[in-house]
Amino acid sequence: MTGYRFDKLKILVVDDNVHMRKLVLTILQAFGAMQLFEAESGERAWSILCRQNPDVVLLDWVMEGMSGIEFARKLRADTQAPNPFVPLIMLTGYTQTTRVREARDAGINEFIAKPVSVKTLMSRLTAVIESPRPYVRTKLYFGPCRRRRNAPEYDGPERRAGGASAQAAE
Amino acid sequence: MAEEQDEIEIFMPPNVLKAKVGNFTGVDMSAIKRAETAMDSLKGNFAEWAQDDVRRLTEAREAYAKTPDAPSRAALARAAHDMKGQAATFDFPLIARVAGSLANLINDLPEGKELPLTLVDAHVNAVQVIHKQKINDTSNSVAVTLAKELEARVAEILD
Repeated sequence: MTGYRFDKLKILVVDDNVHMRKLVLTILQAFGAMQLFEAESGERAWSILCRQNPDVVLLDWVMEGMSGIEFARKLRADTQAPNPFVPLIMLTGYTQTTRVREARDAGINEFIAKPVSVKTLMSRLTAVIESPRPYVRTKLYFGPCRRRRNAPEYDGPERRAGGASAQAAE
Repeated sequence: MAEEQDEIEIFMPPNVLKAKVGNFTGVDMSAIKRAETAMDSLKGNFAEWAQDDVRRLTEAREAYAKTPDAPSRAALARAAHDMKGQAATFDFPLIARVAGSLANLINDLPEGKELPLTLVDAHVNAVQVIHKQKINDTSNSVAVTLAKELEARVAEILD
């Protein structure tokens, strides 16, 4: 089995802890990723993002200055962003529902609750490649659909006007 | 309300990632194995890396004790939160547990109430001891009892 060509992807890793960055970068290199970028802050990440236009961003939540959440909001809203659809995977020690909801509302695609493991990292990368969420634009939000992915077992009412989920599936 | 719903636009952008990385043919176990081996090669550094977090937590505690204001409290909360995530990754699950308990205390105690410094110190001391004795085993009865006791004290205060 050859697996994904991770060498084709540009991946940006953002964490203010140098050791955590090293660990994540080491795992990604072992997966075959070669176009790796790192940033120790949200501000530096933004600068790299605008220059390199990465395909995926792995992002810590709590950082000095611009937090991961603020970075996500900026990415989804700022017209200077080279690609507002870039998948954001958040690595965080927060696991409370309220925090998860806050991150979803900021435009985060996937979560990795620390501790970071090889299998979880591969699983989340696979998720953004194989099962990307549709994107939603409203007056107040732009980003990945905050609903769970396809839930064929759901037979409740369609709560969005015009059967929006049906459009998303198309 | 209906008006708001009418303005929802949902669309699926092109799957650029898939076009770049190729088709999924199942989990690449060789990549997983390579990555686990690479991670194992870093394990020798974990105690030293965790030491940086222990130092940072200790310094944040000292700064808070000296000037117990909102910025020093926020710095202490951040040090505890970071340690919770990082220590678990660096193979110190009990440090992560104690740091999580401290983070709960700081985050959940209302801003107007001063942190009980003796309980903060008990957490910091526990972290230092677990690190110094390199306790990685989650079944270490002394460390587990200590962590449980700290969590119980925090729960009492937050109750």
